[in-house]
Amino acid sequence: MSTRAADSAPLAVQTTSLGKRFGRQWALAHCDLEVRPGEVLLLAGANGSGKTTLLRLIAGLYKPTQGSMMIYGMDPEQEKLACRRTLTLVGHDNYLYSQLSALEMLQVWTRLGGMELAEEQAIELLREVDLDDRRDYPVGGFSAGMRKRLTLLRTRLEKPKLVLLDEPFSALDAAGQNLIEEWIEGYRTAGKTVVLASHNLPRSTKLCDRAILLQQGQMLWQGTGNELLDHVGTTV
Amino acid sequence: MNLLGQAMTVVRKDLLLEWRGKGRLISVLLFGVVTLLLFSFAVGPDSTLLRAAAGGFLVLALLLSSTLGLSESFRVEQEQRAIEGLLLLPVDPIALYYGKTLSNTLFLMLLAPVLTPVGLILYSVELDLKGLAVLLGLWTLAAAGLSAPGTLYAAMTSRLQSQDVLLPLLLFPLVIPVLMGAVKSTTLILTGDPMSQVGSWATLLASFAIIYWSLCGLLFPHAIEEGI
Repeated sequence: MSTRAADSAPLAVQTTSLGKRFGRQWALAHCDLEVRPGEVLLLAGANGSGKTTLLRLIAGLYKPTQGSMMIYGMDPEQEKLACRRTLTLVGHDNYLYSQLSALEMLQVWTRLGGMELAEEQAIELLREVDLDDRRDYPVGGFSAGMRKRLTLLRTRLEKPKLVLLDEPFSALDAAGQNLIEEWIEGYRTAGKTVVLASHNLPRSTKLCDRAILLQQGQMLWQGTGNELLDHVGTTV
Repeated sequence: MNLLGQAMTVVRKDLLLEWRGKGRLISVLLFGVVTLLLFSFAVGPDSTLLRAAAGGFLVLALLLSSTLGLSESFRVEQEQRAIEGLLLLPVDPIALYYGKTLSNTLFLMLLAPVLTPVGLILYSVELDLKGLAVLLGLWTLAAAGLSAPGTLYAAMTSRLQSQDVLLPLLLFPLVIPVLMGAVKSTTLILTGDPMSQVGSWATLLASFAIIYWSLCGLLFPHAIEEGI
């Protein structure tokens, strides 16, 4: 792609003075953010800094109190379903029904999302996260890590251009965390955009192209992953 | 996948969840039976009075059981925020609404085969097969009329701690026409209909069911703008 063409391509995410207020409390205020297609962006910050709120706003789960936003050149207010096709969010919750099996969960997600998934493909996906031998077990009996791995499969199923991950490493063992690292690297190679919020700075700063530090709902600082480590150390 | 296909996927998922976790159905059925029993104790052994009030008691048992069933139907969605996982998919919220409403209607319809015979025995009412069939038809219309606004309100209140109080407070005033139509027509079936009025009440029930299904379907996407 020529530089001119790349310049004219729409940004993956563009927010203008975006804000969200709950009652009297601003969870996020005046957020001007630009995420380039193919970029891996890390959102860092202490609890309550606004990372999850920003991800949920981008995913369309919250309606902004102020400001506007574009996702790959689309206005989520006008083109809600098209935006949903473009992105996926894996948040703190697992989005699972305890009484359904892992295989049935994948089938519900794919059918409702209008995707085709043969049983063999589903089993292959479950094998990726070491759950193929548990495919017919109710997910209510799964450990927190197994549930997380199953939910993270949504990023493989939906084949989105924009992947939003909220604390993707939490609840996972070392092997699981390595797998997510591999996936994120794979998304970067495939030209997908990743925005992740994480407290695990040693891992996430290695992966990101750019990091943003949030504090009390405001964007405080931005730079590279290594600069973030120099700025705040390994914990925020 | 079209709207109908998405709605049917939600119905299939809900029926599967219902089948696996039979606790909800059993507890709602037992609640309905206990309610019928309490009404008969409240009236006493006066069989004439019991027969005259049987239609009202049956419909009230359905209404009270329905709030329990409706709030439970969204509790399972909130358990691990499964509903949010569905809302994140490129699925039309209207399909989610009609899927949930249809499965709630089917659930309420399942109460009829249990509550009707129990009510008939408790209140000493005799009914022939034709009357029973008409009663089941009316029950289906009442279930449809209750589940449409019930699903909307259950979704809106599902994240609130006071859902169990709020849901009936919001739902009961809205479904008064359904309640009236169902009580009148059921009473006519049970006590005799010399003026052939059942048809008119059934038409009223069907009309309100259509109005609620249409209006609530339109309102649902706005009601869940901030998520459920």
